[in-house]
Amino acid sequence: MTRSTAADAGLTGPGAADDIAVPGPGAVRRGGRYRRRRKLRKGTELTILLGPGLVLFLGFVLAPIAIGAYYSLYNWDGLGPLTNFTGLHNYKIAFNDPAFVSAIEHTLILTGLSLAIQGPIALGIALLLNRKFPGRTAMRLVIFAPYVLPPAVTAVMWSLLLQPGGLVDQVMKAAGLGGLVQLWLANLHIVLYSVFAVLTWQYLGFGIILLLAGLQGIPAELKEAAAIDGATAWQTTRQITLPLLGPTIRIWVFITVIGSLQVFDVIWLMTQGGPAGASDSMATYMYRTGFQNEAFSYGTAIAIIMFLFCFAFALVYQRFALRRDTRGALTRAVG
Amino acid sequence: MHRKRVVLGVAVAAAAATVLAACSSSGGSSSTSTNSSTAKVTLSWWNNANTQPLLGVFQNVIKQFEAAHPNVTIQNVPMQNELFKTKITPALRGNAPPDIYQQWGSGQQATQVQSGKVADISSEVSSWISSLGTPATEWQTNGKWYGVPYDLHVVGFWYRKDLFQQAGITAAPTTIPQLESDDAKLRAHGIQPIGLGSKDGWPDAFWWEYFAIRECSQSTITSAMSSVNLSAACFTKASADLDAFVKTNPFQTGFLATPAQSVPNSSVGMLANGKVAMELQGDWEPAAGSGLTSDKNFDDQLGWFPFPAVPGGAGDPKAVLGGGDGYSCTTAAAEPACAQFLQFLTTPAVEKQIIGAGAGLPANPAANGDLSVPAEKDAAAANSAAPYIAEYFDTALPTTPGQNLDNAVAKWFASPDASGSGITSSVTTP
Amino acid sequence: MMTAITAATPARARGGRRRSSNWTIMPATYLVSIVILGLTVVPLLYVFLDGAKSTAQISANSTALPNPWVWSNYGQILSSAAFWEFLGNSALIAAVATGLAVGLGSMAAFALSRYVFRGREAIYTLFICGLLFPLQIAALPLFLQLQLMGLLDNQFGVALPEAAFSLPITILILRPFMRAIPGDLEDAAMVDGASRLRFFAQILLPMCKPALVTVGLLAFVTSWNQFLLPLLVFSTQSHFTLPLGVSTFQSTYSSNTAVVLAFTALAAVPALAAFLWGQRYLVAGASGAVKG
Repeated sequence: MTRSTAADAGLTGPGAADDIAVPGPGAVRRGGRYRRRRKLRKGTELTILLGPGLVLFLGFVLAPIAIGAYYSLYNWDGLGPLTNFTGLHNYKIAFNDPAFVSAIEHTLILTGLSLAIQGPIALGIALLLNRKFPGRTAMRLVIFAPYVLPPAVTAVMWSLLLQPGGLVDQVMKAAGLGGLVQLWLANLHIVLYSVFAVLTWQYLGFGIILLLAGLQGIPAELKEAAAIDGATAWQTTRQITLPLLGPTIRIWVFITVIGSLQVFDVIWLMTQGGPAGASDSMATYMYRTGFQNEAFSYGTAIAIIMFLFCFAFALVYQRFALRRDTRGALTRAVG
Repeated sequence: MHRKRVVLGVAVAAAAATVLAACSSSGGSSSTSTNSSTAKVTLSWWNNANTQPLLGVFQNVIKQFEAAHPNVTIQNVPMQNELFKTKITPALRGNAPPDIYQQWGSGQQATQVQSGKVADISSEVSSWISSLGTPATEWQTNGKWYGVPYDLHVVGFWYRKDLFQQAGITAAPTTIPQLESDDAKLRAHGIQPIGLGSKDGWPDAFWWEYFAIRECSQSTITSAMSSVNLSAACFTKASADLDAFVKTNPFQTGFLATPAQSVPNSSVGMLANGKVAMELQGDWEPAAGSGLTSDKNFDDQLGWFPFPAVPGGAGDPKAVLGGGDGYSCTTAAAEPACAQFLQFLTTPAVEKQIIGAGAGLPANPAANGDLSVPAEKDAAAANSAAPYIAEYFDTALPTTPGQNLDNAVAKWFASPDASGSGITSSVTTP
Repeated sequence: MMTAITAATPARARGGRRRSSNWTIMPATYLVSIVILGLTVVPLLYVFLDGAKSTAQISANSTALPNPWVWSNYGQILSSAAFWEFLGNSALIAAVATGLAVGLGSMAAFALSRYVFRGREAIYTLFICGLLFPLQIAALPLFLQLQLMGLLDNQFGVALPEAAFSLPITILILRPFMRAIPGDLEDAAMVDGASRLRFFAQILLPMCKPALVTVGLLAFVTSWNQFLLPLLVFSTQSHFTLPLGVSTFQSTYSSNTAVVLAFTALAAVPALAAFLWGQRYLVAGASGAVKG
């Protein structure tokens, strides 16, 4: 059968799981006690499946976060007794601090750049790497390797490479681009973008791997079917691969936005958000003015604000983007 | 099925181990709270001597002390400096803080005293603490002793004699205008004059604080620190002085991104490799630099001169900026064993070992003669002869305003202005 | 265009068709590969090469080749008992954290993707909320909590929170993958008498291999490089993990950068090895069960 898109064909695609629980043609409906037993069984299964994860999560993640959030309503340095209740005072201070406002701007810039630049690059590379060619395994290893490096080392390494007269400068001069050399980390206007370049270097591999995993889930038969029907590689990509990769891309976007809103390690270790806060993200601002200064409550208030940013995005994204992945029919037969 | 079994197996093992671990908890300090000086006691000692040679020195010191006090066992817990700073606050908050831990006195100490976990050892030290002189008083809070120093630090100019010679500079500058003309001479010979590790913030603070000390009288400084207020006019003057100085372009290229220590492209690394001629830093400079250069003569090439005088300033030109390292006992630590250990560290014999490891200047002036690097002796002499020692502002102030000040000065260096209002207002920002 | 002509070739000539459609793709692939290789490898090479210098050499000229080659940095690390101790600690913690995260995460993702029950979306949102907080906010309360539970200076004091913090992203990634498995398979299994849990373990999980490997790698690498949690939990140096272990080469005023870089190059090897092992499963595993 020929269809213009795989989705139209109703072929395998992420679809609502809502129908799965309905018993198929094989099961015979029985009444009362059977249904109760099934309910009990389902309850038991759910407890086994969800229980341990939920307990671990509530115990080690939500409980500390809730307690931490409670501290933000006080003026506390982490040492003395918790006595100075100040309510939303910390939040007011934060939004009145121009350093924090520019930290927010920087974070949003980094997020936007990550989506606009890392996305297409990761997608392109993943598509290219999805076919067999000699050295593919080595390529994959090399691409993933930066992600494995601890941020501390990435920071030290790139600080050395980006210093005045360092390797980056030398390579540019050798390539005849000497006129474009800047003080990568000392120039207030450029440092944020230098940091972005390093972040891309470190995290691109993660995106590529995620997209590769998604590509693996696309059956080869679809592409073959399309090719038999006369589609070019580009058409196949555009109309079959990309839509089927949709859910994975949407997950990548979600993770990237959340990750960018919280970016900390590399920036802190490379520039401490400097010079003079020119490369501050919300998280580095939080760490410096909150935890390093032992203004613990203030730091936690900033963290709550960061959470609200992430939460707002997650809500909107869930509603408009991820919701698509829960709609759509799930067919029970192929071809 | 196999996978499910593995998954379940891991989960069960983890649960079991958690239960087991909870039953047999490990770690933390384990000192008995007895006051007798003959019962067996153990003291856990958190310090930042996690590498040689100081690590070995401290291990020896422990052995010596334990030999003299057979009922005391000291558990050495060395930790890299930044790790230590991150860990100590939660530890003081929790219910099992270390018995002895490192701290830098003054405002920082006052903040920690609020936790209620730092012990007042005034009665245990009163008989001998005065032999350490004035610098030790930084470890008093509200007139009571909460800690004891074991080494001292002073900030001054470290310069390379070879580069000064190259530029034709025959004597160290004694006033700021002289320093500026020396900088010009160095530049004329293609040498970057002054290294600055601006990325870390605190080296910037040294500059501003020294101008403040030269412009303000001692009483102004003292009251400013205790009232956490930098509104006096001399502080604004200090900013103006610094602004004029920075305009003479004395620092290396890209100084905003240069770290101060540790890594090869740091300012001390540049001094060690002859890429800058001088740096305003603490007495740790030779130790910090020698690991970054293969020049075995680095220590001998170094000279030291005090921060020059500022014409017209109300401050004493011989006053110095400095600080030190010390230790405190927590309330759970056994006394008098803890205080006795702190005293032991200040005895001349032990001080000699400590400064031999390059830790700094001795807290006990009696050991001044044991310094090995020639330039260090100059620094120590200036320290001992100083009419007063101003402690680094970020330690003299409580932690939050102190850190705010460092951040504000670093920010100022990125876009200097003559008023310095960003700096003076930073300590009163909530 | 080649492909249009050869597209008409019957299926039997599949091999030939693929070869010719690769004419335009293969050079592009290689070109891009080389560029990526350059951008990625050269800095990595730096870590390795600088590890073979002395710190003084790095100070003097960071871009030159090592001269002389100081292999003793690597030798010194590999022969120190402390390094292997750190490695063992890191490995144990990462294994437990990864196992728990993937195990519990896949179970939870299965429940959240293929069951219908009240509160399902609420629970899912709860998990996702864990992603939205920075770790630092939980650090101090977590420390106090671990102290209460007696888990300080204990590997599980690190592994358990790490697993917990990896759960949200595991579930986030696995849920759509699991959803995509067609319902017929589940029905078929149930008709054959298998319970849904058995379907989960024996059919669904193997089909999700690429996704499982991905989340496993993420959890492993996150745990391997985790710094703040082990810092809070461990005081005794012998319990340190590799990232903390780096600090043994750094002191208050100086840091033996060359050894640090050598140490890091070595510390990254197990994580890379884990990736090498796992990436086999990222290879095309066609959802064979969908075929007739």
